[in-house]
Amino acid sequence: MDPTYLKISRANMKQILFLILLFAALNIFAQKEELDLRFNVKFNNEILELNKQYFLTSANDSIKIETLKFFVSDFKFLQNKTVVDSLSKKHHLIDLENDSSTRLKGKRSNQLSFNKIKFNVGIDSLTNDSGVFGGDLDPTNGMYWTWQSGYINFKLEGKSQACPTRNNLFQFHIGGYLAPYSALRSIELDILNKKITLIDLDIDTFLSNINLTETHSIMSPNKTAVILADIFPKAFTIADE
Amino acid sequence: MNNKYYILFTIVIICSSFGIIKFHELEYPGYFPQPTYNFKNNPLSEETIELGRVLFYDPILSRDNTISCASCHSPYNSFAHSDHDLSHGIDDQIGNRNAPALFNLAWQNTFMWDGAINNLDMQALAPISHRMEMDETIQNVVLKLQRKEIYSGLFKEAFGDSLITGEYVLKALSQFQLTLISANSKYDQVMKGAQLFNDQETKGYILFKRNCNSCHTEPLFSNYSFANNGLIVDSTLNDFGKYTITKKSEDSLLFKVPSLRNLKFTSPYMHDGRFKKLNEVLNHYTSGINKTETLDTQLQEAIELSSNDKADLLSFLQTLNDTDFVFDQKHQFPRNKQESAKE
Repeated sequence: MDPTYLKISRANMKQILFLILLFAALNIFAQKEELDLRFNVKFNNEILELNKQYFLTSANDSIKIETLKFFVSDFKFLQNKTVVDSLSKKHHLIDLENDSSTRLKGKRSNQLSFNKIKFNVGIDSLTNDSGVFGGDLDPTNGMYWTWQSGYINFKLEGKSQACPTRNNLFQFHIGGYLAPYSALRSIELDILNKKITLIDLDIDTFLSNINLTETHSIMSPNKTAVILADIFPKAFTIADE
Repeated sequence: MNNKYYILFTIVIICSSFGIIKFHELEYPGYFPQPTYNFKNNPLSEETIELGRVLFYDPILSRDNTISCASCHSPYNSFAHSDHDLSHGIDDQIGNRNAPALFNLAWQNTFMWDGAINNLDMQALAPISHRMEMDETIQNVVLKLQRKEIYSGLFKEAFGDSLITGEYVLKALSQFQLTLISANSKYDQVMKGAQLFNDQETKGYILFKRNCNSCHTEPLFSNYSFANNGLIVDSTLNDFGKYTITKKSEDSLLFKVPSLRNLKFTSPYMHDGRFKKLNEVLNHYTSGINKTETLDTQLQEAIELSSNDKADLLSFLQTLNDTDFVFDQKHQFPRNKQESAKE
């Protein structure tokens, strides 16, 4: 190679220095801040504790939740209808037994303003159809059906006297990624305060929409699973601070 | 197209159709289509294939450590279960279907007779969890593997990580099964130009192309779609195939079309193993078709075969048996690894 190519003239040096400074400056302005989103699972306006007796007004009955696990995915921040930012980690498994799983960590740009948050409850059909993954999607997490392919989007198990089942158990394993039984639901919430970090999930809202005497054991993709999934958008709200 | 390029292109095509193609460590003949498995999510390596092989033959996958994958998918039966119409699993419980042969899986997108499984990676979860097959959970399999010393080394070699996860177990099992390629039967030798069909086989090949090839399509000898081939429902099983999964009436009695390779090793035939002999299968197609609403369009008109035709067709089907595949040491019990695993 011609050695003159390697020579950097004084003028060039200045240009390079300028570019470095420019990039550094841009970097400061476009810095990303830590995002700490938290899901608050509630029952009758209290934080839900597993294995604790609650009173479900709609069924006039005491009720106990033993398991609650669900996937949230594709977090997006919107200004009106335009997506301005999204979380890089696509799928999050929230498991009430593991407190840290209710916190979603990520980074978002502090320069962008947004007034809406959007996410899915469940796993999209492409991921469902693309083989095995690790981390939150690892099949050892108990959120994958074995006899038939597909993730369980939302798993709620507990006991209610209203259930005519063995040990009064209700089991809702809601999932399904193929039409007409797709159980993936999109949630869109308005944000009033930019600092908002809490999303409520009201389990009493969810259960109040179900007649537990008739519907108590859903463990495959079907018509009832689709109806139950339709309740999700009502059960998620932005917490009042 | 420019003439020169056209000639070059033709030469490349001709060469590749006779040659061996190497794709992600898999070797298969040039007249095979490109595999459909997504290797990007699970790139093959020698170490992972070997780990998958050790897992495939290890009964640790079952609840009481008695049943391995190979219990129902024996290498000597082209990875099918011979002598049993319905396969048996843990505690000698009898299941409700005939274990299918395992080969050329990299070209298949759905698994099980009813298509319940959408990806090879996820297939193993079904037999591991089925109460009549292995009656175990993937969570517990991972715990058991973590306690067995040999595996931390094998997982480290395979994934660069001695941590054992469900993802890694399933990926390794997929990798081993992807290497089960059957492509060295007499038919394959003929395709490669190394051998010739005799007169009877040639006649049989013509009959095959006329009557069978639309579903059992060359060179894999299945289009791996689902079809109702006119079997009367066995009232002791009431198995409606794909309908069980999709709940769509048009899927009633549809079962996955199996490959016709290696039939010599995979008797009995059909999803419930109802036919022991290939003659019975041919007789079903010529005179046993039960007409129902979802019967495959190709079978609406009876297939006509004289007894000579049947003999010729059977002689062609014999050319699809791949003894090299069935006796390939690479696919068999990993003796050295398993013995050290027992210690």
